Amino acid sequence: MTHLNATLTLFFSLLVEAIPFLLIGVLFSSALLFFVDERKLVAAIPKHPLLAALAGSLIGFLFPVCECGNVPVARRLIIQGAPAAMAIGFLLAAPVVNPVVFWATWVAFRDQPEMVFLRIGFSLLIATLIGWVFSSQTDLRPLMQPAVARAMLVPQAARRAHRPSRATSTSSAAGLDSPLLQSGTFFLGQSNQPLQFDGSGQAAAMMVDANLSRPVPERLRLMMDNVIQELRELGGILIIGSAIAAIVQVAVPREMILSLGQGTVSSIVAMMTLAAVVSICSTVDAFFALSFASTFTTGSLLAFLIFGPMIDLKNFALLVTVFRPRAIVYIFVLAGQLTFLVTLLINLYVS
Amino acid sequence: MTIQSDLETASPLRPSKSAFWRQAFLDMAAILAWGVLLLQYWLTGKIKLLLHPNYIWLAYSAGFFLIGLTIVKLVQLSLVLKARLRQTNQPFPITAPHLSLFPPTWSSLLLVVIALFGLQFVPQPFSSQMALDRGVTETLTMTRSQPQAFRGATKPENRTLIEWIRLLNVYPEPDAYTGQKVNVEGFAIHLPDIPETYVGIARFVITCCAADAYPVGLPVKLPAGDRSAYKPDQWFRIEGEMITETLADKRQLVINAKTLTPIPTPANPYEF
Repeated sequence: MTHLNATLTLFFSLLVEAIPFLLIGVLFSSALLFFVDERKLVAAIPKHPLLAALAGSLIGFLFPVCECGNVPVARRLIIQGAPAAMAIGFLLAAPVVNPVVFWATWVAFRDQPEMVFLRIGFSLLIATLIGWVFSSQTDLRPLMQPAVARAMLVPQAARRAHRPSRATSTSSAAGLDSPLLQSGTFFLGQSNQPLQFDGSGQAAAMMVDANLSRPVPERLRLMMDNVIQELRELGGILIIGSAIAAIVQVAVPREMILSLGQGTVSSIVAMMTLAAVVSICSTVDAFFALSFASTFTTGSLLAFLIFGPMIDLKNFALLVTVFRPRAIVYIFVLAGQLTFLVTLLINLYVS
Repeated sequence: MTIQSDLETASPLRPSKSAFWRQAFLDMAAILAWGVLLLQYWLTGKIKLLLHPNYIWLAYSAGFFLIGLTIVKLVQLSLVLKARLRQTNQPFPITAPHLSLFPPTWSSLLLVVIALFGLQFVPQPFSSQMALDRGVTETLTMTRSQPQAFRGATKPENRTLIEWIRLLNVYPEPDAYTGQKVNVEGFAIHLPDIPETYVGIARFVITCCAADAYPVGLPVKLPAGDRSAYKPDQWFRIEGEMITETLADKRQLVINAKTLTPIPTPANPYEF
């Protein structure tokens, strides 16, 4: 009975903590959809895969989202035809490389400012490297969930389609009877560059062109609908992820995880496991790590702070909405190995 | 199953009539329920058991926002309804393309059900059993390594349990504190590895939310009798002084209690 209550308390505390951040993330993501032409952003990204990955990793500074909020934005970037390097770089780095997290980590580790810079620097490095690796996959669609893959622009088409269409708003009288609904004909009619259709999917891309030419009140209405939709979907998944995290936390005595924590290598492994299990939001995880500061090696704390925002149980549930499991395994393994490597170097040579 | 058939017939962009209204209703119910839940937790103080005080404003701001969102959505839907009453062939507003793992109705239903359950649920402070499972750190190694937690100016009798523990963490020699007055609050815990004439006094520390709560505690030498009179989970104010004893083969700081006063569980049982 006490275990049940403890599990439920953990469960609701994770939810109550995460929902405001989810809301912030969803608001940013929806505002992005209706007020920012992502394809301008995508088009401004350097062509070189390494630079694209770096640029993608740095976008987090423009959109302070935590790891609950970065998945919808990354999903949208991918649908808008962002290069793989940029999208993956953003997905992995945005939860850490952003002003809110910088501030929170600074507050937590005021005595050890190097933690802040090491955390951000290493996250940037790892995200850029993994983004670079993924750039070898020019067409991301085989790695995506079918629903996302259908909505995606094919890379070339994305570039050509980047032209805001004024005609849309004038021809649609009430804004409600959108020409989007007659997808194929509409598109051929207003532009003589037929996109490579493979289903109803390009709707997403066309939406944005249309969205940016809609009047602002209409855009606000659509933005609200989008906020509700994403809250509904990501909220449902957050509930499942939090439930798993709460059950695991109560079922496995934390002592057991911590008893591994003294050695150079085992402490890093233990902290990475803890990061994946606890699923704590990147905005607040620095405070959590702080409570282990006296028993755990600096390297292992860094491992917690770098790895947690990239991959954890809750985040995993969100990633499943975008990627096929195969791609998640690649990201998981690469992020895990790189985190392990850099933090081991810190343990061996710095601290 | 009607839900299934509606999902199949509804076009991805323009939902059928019944699906549109059902989804709109469920969405509003889900958002409203979570808004109410967050505000209810805040107003009833339940939230203190879940979050660090620094983050409570985030939760209730989100609550206000969600309720505001419900109202705006309600106004917008009533406009749709009015337009349809005037002109029946008025199409439903399109929705943004939706990518989902499960059917949207499931997500909404899950959100509604969990929120309704959450409204009923009364979180309890973590029990002493939970503290034992997590390992009460008597030597208190798992605390923050913040030198500024060293508050030499604080009078010993004004220190809270966590302040004692931070102090010990900075300067672990128990003899340094012998004879200092103690006045701390916490819940009783029966530690298996110390004799029956001792009881543990413990508190949970949270840094962000209940998910990262960890217990800290000190052993207490009882003035008389054994610990069976001091039930686990009962809160006590303990007055006495510090002594050094060897318990469980470890020289450690022990509170030599003069009085143990039962107190009600505080509204905010955590320390920070």
